[in-house]
Amino acid sequence: MEFLSAFTLALNMLISGDAEVREIVLLSLEVSIVATLAALLCGLPLGAFLATSQFWGQRVSITILNTFLSMPPVVIGLLVYLLISRAGPIGFLELLYTPAAMMLAQFILVLPISAALSRQIFETLHQEYNPLFGTLGTSTFQRVSVLIYDSRLSLFTVGLACFGRAISEVGAVIIVGGNIAHLTRVMTTTIALETSRGELSRALALGIVLMGIALLVNILSTILKGYMQRAGMHV
Amino acid sequence: MSKITLDVKDLSVTLAGKKRLDTISCQVQSEKLTMVMGHNGAGKSLFLKALHGLIPLSSGKIVGPERTDAKLVFQKPILLRRTTEEVFKFIASDCTNTEARDWLSLAGLSDHLQHPARRLSGGQAQKLMLVAMLATQPKLLFLDEPTAHLDYESTAFVENTLKTARADGLTIIMASHNRTQIKRLADHVLFLDDGKLVDDQPAADFFSAPRHEAAQRWLDFA
Repeated sequence: MEFLSAFTLALNMLISGDAEVREIVLLSLEVSIVATLAALLCGLPLGAFLATSQFWGQRVSITILNTFLSMPPVVIGLLVYLLISRAGPIGFLELLYTPAAMMLAQFILVLPISAALSRQIFETLHQEYNPLFGTLGTSTFQRVSVLIYDSRLSLFTVGLACFGRAISEVGAVIIVGGNIAHLTRVMTTTIALETSRGELSRALALGIVLMGIALLVNILSTILKGYMQRAGMHV
Repeated sequence: MSKITLDVKDLSVTLAGKKRLDTISCQVQSEKLTMVMGHNGAGKSLFLKALHGLIPLSSGKIVGPERTDAKLVFQKPILLRRTTEEVFKFIASDCTNTEARDWLSLAGLSDHLQHPARRLSGGQAQKLMLVAMLATQPKLLFLDEPTAHLDYESTAFVENTLKTARADGLTIIMASHNRTQIKRLADHVLFLDDGKLVDDQPAADFFSAPRHEAAQRWLDFA
């Protein structure tokens, strides 16, 4: 019964457009979208470079990258905290307990995902294209550009994976953001806080929004994939 | 005396500890079509790649055109995930739009410019690759069994295009299994057997008097 009444309250909150819920949702989206785009901007060229180049220490680099995939988020939060706290190397930027700090933590969290997943995609395509690149004398920069462009649909899926991981993060974000009301409170940290307080309706409302975002992202992905396949862009 | 485009001295390639090409020396004459022949696994494709500089030599030396002045057409066309016109322009990036369309029209692909290249038939795809490589104006063109999977019409297009290119001064080195095609096209023959060059003579002489038992066997059964 408690769940049902909490669920009803949550729906009312969403339908009536609760100002605090809206603020939290918008901040969550802003932080995660910026972190994801930044991670893709850095991670895709890195993944493409690792897939197309041969250099001393390449295998070690790939192993390190894959290790970062399983790095505990709280450890990332702690490292970012040490970096941006007042006594840290970039403490003078006064990023601690700001949305920028949360973006930085999420960026570090999803950068290995974007680089490692894209590297696998690029590696497969590069094996196919490599003889053509060889005979044309294609430069590394051109190879990277071609691979990114021709893998765009698969990379969109990588982007979704990164966004999903970023927006669902709690530990790292709470360490560097502090979960401050009207400043750094995002969906996941609010859900954790409200659940511990016994305020299940707000937690549920945000949970529904999170699930809705996941559903929307997947629907968009399916539509885009269908469109690109019909247009022959991913044959 | 014919001009020489490629001078190969003691070329050897070792892969995974096995000598795949063994001390090959030959000269390729300019503006001629030299056919590389041999049984499956003789090393024809590897030889073309080695001549083109796509795989490192274990030993030996090749004197020839700059790497950028040579191109290789593969047996199976390698197509980007793009339209026919975009694939052409990626390969022949110096071509203007008009030149690109002229080349594609020559290949009978005018109606497929905006179609995904990967949806072209095997013959259309190979025509696309051939005209795109020719449009880069190479001095030397390698072809690795380019008509192996093509029908009569596409094969005729490839052969006629190569004849025209040769007449225009292009030096061509091509691997093929097709005896009648070799008779139709080849000026000169290089016959490989187990990574060794065992016959190297004008095509007419090769067909009348092969110099090696493996070449004779090939002629008997081809």
